[in-house]
Amino acid sequence: MSYKSIKFSGINEGDELPVFNREITRTTIVATAIASRDFTPVHHDHDVAQKAGANDIFLNILSTGGFIGKFITDWSGPEGELKKMVINLGMTVFPGDTVMHTGKIAKKYTEANENLVDVEYALSVEMGPHAWGTATVALPA
Amino acid sequence: MSVYDELKAMVGEEAGPFPANDEVNKPMIRHWCEAMEDGNPLYSDEEYAKTTKYGGIIAPPQMAQAYCIPVLWPKQEAAPDPLAKAVGKMDEAGYFGVVATTTTQEYFKPMKLGDRLNFTLKLIKVSDEKTTRLGTGCFITAEYTYKNQNGEVVCKQPFTVMKFKPAGA
Repeated sequence: MSYKSIKFSGINEGDELPVFNREITRTTIVATAIASRDFTPVHHDHDVAQKAGANDIFLNILSTGGFIGKFITDWSGPEGELKKMVINLGMTVFPGDTVMHTGKIAKKYTEANENLVDVEYALSVEMGPHAWGTATVALPA
Repeated sequence: MSVYDELKAMVGEEAGPFPANDEVNKPMIRHWCEAMEDGNPLYSDEEYAKTTKYGGIIAPPQMAQAYCIPVLWPKQEAAPDPLAKAVGKMDEAGYFGVVATTTTQEYFKPMKLGDRLNFTLKLIKVSDEKTTRLGTGCFITAEYTYKNQNGEVVCKQPFTVMKFKPAGA
């Protein structure tokens, strides 16, 4: 099977990535925590989460990285190579939340023979941004 | 000596290397992709992955840490590491609050099937006393460095937490 990838020549600074929304269930929180081998109780045990001051179990940080990577390479295609992600953390993601993924090309440049793009992204819930920052991806010419 | 000075004196302390529990393998990659809903064929389509510069399936680069999280069983004595030590000192000084504020992941080498990772954890920065809406305390940054069996750096992951006395407490 062949897959399409975005070309460096075909994009411009200011371009926006397609918005992606994911509805979060308890199953999402638990499945992503366990797939990332994070057994910290606040990601699967409601009572422990409440004792820790949260209303419910919540998304772990490894999964935040997982969500960002998916969002970026769904847009770029498989030839887009993730180089770096800066992840600033804000609001917690709980079951029942919808995580809205948005992104914009902040910078397009060539460095050490690589065609690089800095995407300014945000993953937001109703209360505000859960994670935001810059993801750098190398694209084919 | 304030607790901040004690922490600052620890900057540069490093623990490890600690070995990963599993080699990079298809079932763990598939479970990750299933949970994250990541359909990138580099992680799943062998025929396609063979045609790429990697020559086969690779793991999502964000997975490095997942290979290295300590096992639940059999129970192991937690290895002393400078981040846990710094957090413990802040707890002792009454700064019980903790919140993760920033993390960066930088990728240098792909994780191929069969690779065996290890990691080190180094305390790289402790801020002066800061007050935010959460309370008063400091920011502590530790860096995870993941390498493969050839000693090549796969991923660097600095991670910053704020330890604080809650505002109004």
